[in-house]
Amino acid sequence: MFTRQIAQRSARAVAQRRTYASVSEASGVKVAGIDNGQPTTSISVVVKAGSRFESRPGVAHALKNFAFKNTKAGSALKTVRETELYGGVLSSALTREHLFLNAEFLRGDEDYFLSLMSSVLSSTKFTPHEFGEVVVPTIEADSLAALSSPSTMAFDIAHTLAFRRGLGNSLFASPHTELTAENVKEYASKAFAKSNVAVIGTGISTEALEKAVAKAFGGASTTGGSSSSGPATQYFGGEQRLPLDLHAAEGQPTMLIAFGSTDAAAAPALAVLKNVLGGESDLKWVPGTSPLALAAAKVPGGKAKAFVLPYSDASLFGVFVTAPTSEGVKAIAGDAVAAIKGLGQVNEEALKKAVAKTKFEVASVVENKEGLIALAGPQVLSGSVKSLEDAFGAIEKASTESLSKAAEALFKGKPTVVAVGDLSVLPYADELGL
Amino acid sequence: MVWGPLSITFAPQLKALSPGLFESLRPLANMLVKASGYRSMGLKYDDLLMEEREDVQKAISRLTPQQAYNRAFRIRTAIQQSILHKPLPREHWVKPEEDVRYMTPLVREIEAENAERAFYDTAKVERK
Repeated sequence: MFTRQIAQRSARAVAQRRTYASVSEASGVKVAGIDNGQPTTSISVVVKAGSRFESRPGVAHALKNFAFKNTKAGSALKTVRETELYGGVLSSALTREHLFLNAEFLRGDEDYFLSLMSSVLSSTKFTPHEFGEVVVPTIEADSLAALSSPSTMAFDIAHTLAFRRGLGNSLFASPHTELTAENVKEYASKAFAKSNVAVIGTGISTEALEKAVAKAFGGASTTGGSSSSGPATQYFGGEQRLPLDLHAAEGQPTMLIAFGSTDAAAAPALAVLKNVLGGESDLKWVPGTSPLALAAAKVPGGKAKAFVLPYSDASLFGVFVTAPTSEGVKAIAGDAVAAIKGLGQVNEEALKKAVAKTKFEVASVVENKEGLIALAGPQVLSGSVKSLEDAFGAIEKASTESLSKAAEALFKGKPTVVAVGDLSVLPYADELGL
Repeated sequence: MVWGPLSITFAPQLKALSPGLFESLRPLANMLVKASGYRSMGLKYDDLLMEEREDVQKAISRLTPQQAYNRAFRIRTAIQQSILHKPLPREHWVKPEEDVRYMTPLVREIEAENAERAFYDTAKVERK
């Protein structure tokens, strides 16, 4: 009965092809719009200017916080007040590979917001006094918040250990490197080249967005130049341990165990492996049946979650463990390592569950705006948006053999282990059997 | 702007009205500068802007470190000369070509920012 239902469902899903997004080009900028009839529109400018490509440590972070400041077209005050009058929201976000400038607003106001974005890209003044008065305090606040969060720290350090430079660059500017407005300006002039920029809209059709982009970006706004590129990513791995002052910090002791892969073909298998390990409960009040969830359930307040962070030429796969006490973290981490080692032989039932879960995750990410922009934005930049069918197809190809092969390839590398907490208690990588 | 941190001046109006008259008054203006004697104390004109105003304070904060250092140095020199009740030796006087308005543009910028803020605080909005 159940299998029949599933079969019917998948037949229906294939029959109605999901119209998603098609990429076109307007005045040298790649554009894609996704209209599901929602009442608001959002426009994101995706720039290949993440921390991976930065010329000085922290300059990408500074550029993110320099968004929507004084431009030749108007002051930061004008931008803010007029956006408020339109009822819009402006934000900027930084990932390791991309910088996102977002505007959300009511339908019909896209001309104003796109010309605003265009002036931000082409004519931000990067004045030294704004840098000192407005940008540096926000950078400091961001970095301080990151420092006081063990999980953010653990992920940042894990990237540095795993990839060293490029992808390993910290997302946060550190107080140890000097930055000036001039550095940021220089980086922006390189990063904001047209070939480096894409516009993705939700709640707006590709045609309408194309027209608006041509109008706003038409006046030879952004400078030419080549797109950002860095050396190919290599995986290194290593171990780092940080003390956590439990009285000062709000965070809990944390351990992160990760493996890296620089094989792009392994990405779907890694996404499935993540769901084999699991860690999240699918039902309320019960821990679930995934190995990590069972491990975490033994320690009150403990959590263990598998993660996979895909990048353009590498992925970081691993387990994130946290508990109220370092002893708890130690106990869960031991079980988590056993679970990770078990990935070599995945049974058929676990595979089926994980594949279904992965497909659901991929599909539900596309459903909300933030997830959609984060997923599709980089794809627009590279020229084509992958359809859900393609993603599903790649996931469904996973077999017990392909998973064990992917897992073996992962385990060949040196593990990346980050421990944040009471260092007299938290185990070393070799004590965990890694 | 007649009333502002930059003290009363009709020079822009006069320049617009009659450039010839403006130029003919220039020697008189130079005499006035010489008579006021601030260059002989080692100061530039912009060192004399009213510091007690918030906008000028902000402009001072926006000087580059080198400009701020030089400004402090000139003011200290002038205070020392004031205590001694005598001008600097002639070779240390600020030359007319050195007496540039290094802070006036910053003050104008801040004035414009304040005016813009006032405009947006009192703006009437119409949706087209």
